[in-house]
Amino acid sequence: MSTGLRPDATELGDARRRVEALVAGLPGGRPGEQAFNEPWEIRAFAMAVAAYSNGQYEWSEFQLSLIESIRQWEQGGRDPDAAPWSYYEHWLTALETVLAGSGLLSESMLDERTKQVLATPRDASHQHAHREPVAVDLPLR
Amino acid sequence: MSEQVRSQEEIAARVKALESILIEKGVMTTAAVDRLVEIYENEVGPQLGAKVVARAWTDPAFKQRLLADATEACKEFGISGLQGEDMVVVENTADVHNVIVCTLCSCYPWPVLGLPPNWYKEPAYRAQIVKAPRKVLREDFGYDVPDSVEVRVWDSSSEMRYWVLPTPPEGTEGLSEDELAHLVTRDSMIGVGPAASPVS
Repeated sequence: MSTGLRPDATELGDARRRVEALVAGLPGGRPGEQAFNEPWEIRAFAMAVAAYSNGQYEWSEFQLSLIESIRQWEQGGRDPDAAPWSYYEHWLTALETVLAGSGLLSESMLDERTKQVLATPRDASHQHAHREPVAVDLPLR
Repeated sequence: MSEQVRSQEEIAARVKALESILIEKGVMTTAAVDRLVEIYENEVGPQLGAKVVARAWTDPAFKQRLLADATEACKEFGISGLQGEDMVVVENTADVHNVIVCTLCSCYPWPVLGLPPNWYKEPAYRAQIVKAPRKVLREDFGYDVPDSVEVRVWDSSSEMRYWVLPTPPEGTEGLSEDELAHLVTRDSMIGVGPAASPVS
């Protein structure tokens, strides 16, 4: 009996088409144009879509915030000390902006929580290397 | 917008912090975000692991280096990104089949395999694959490991992350490294499935 661990492929395909219809109108929103390089990028991406789906803001608000963040970076782009290009940093900035706009978030609240996350050791209980198999299923014959 | 340049670690922490705040405020659930991530999880990385496997299938000297020190060998492909954690590749043979898990959380060799699939993080998989590996492979993944083959389960931690070098499928003689890489699935590198067979 299966525990139903795996998602249904057709359902995922449908969900994907809905998300792609949403991002197609964003700068750099054509499928495949902005590949994910880091796990946080895909997380930030998904959060923006989830918060929108939950009715927290209009998609056009997010779109304008994203355009604005990119525009600001382009204007400061000649400064050698300026941040290097990262599409999903703009994405994150846009998400923070629209959430602050609807009163859900303040920068100080987020800064404070970020400090807490950084102060918590990752996988605190799981630091040691396990050098032997954790389980072995011997041959049956 | 903040003007200072943030490290990847700081940004990742900020995203995590944001998610926890939004969940507390009832704006979204972890499950909703996971569902969306699931759509794209295949797009970060697994093709890198596939390239490494295809090279190991065609170049015995590289395979030796990979099995001896996967972290170093992967640098030949420009793969890094792990912060001081070691990667270990375990090889499937005619006698031994390997499968990976993180029993405590979701440690995963993401620079080569991308983001972990959701089921990899589920308590069900983490517990059951250790208790009855052969049974879980058959019942949840439809993957029948022959009775004569030993199944070994490797527990990744934040210090050491395992992944699997699958056996090459039959009928791949004469295929290029590129063509071989297309047969290497994510599941085969987790150890919950075989590499795909070439379409004749």
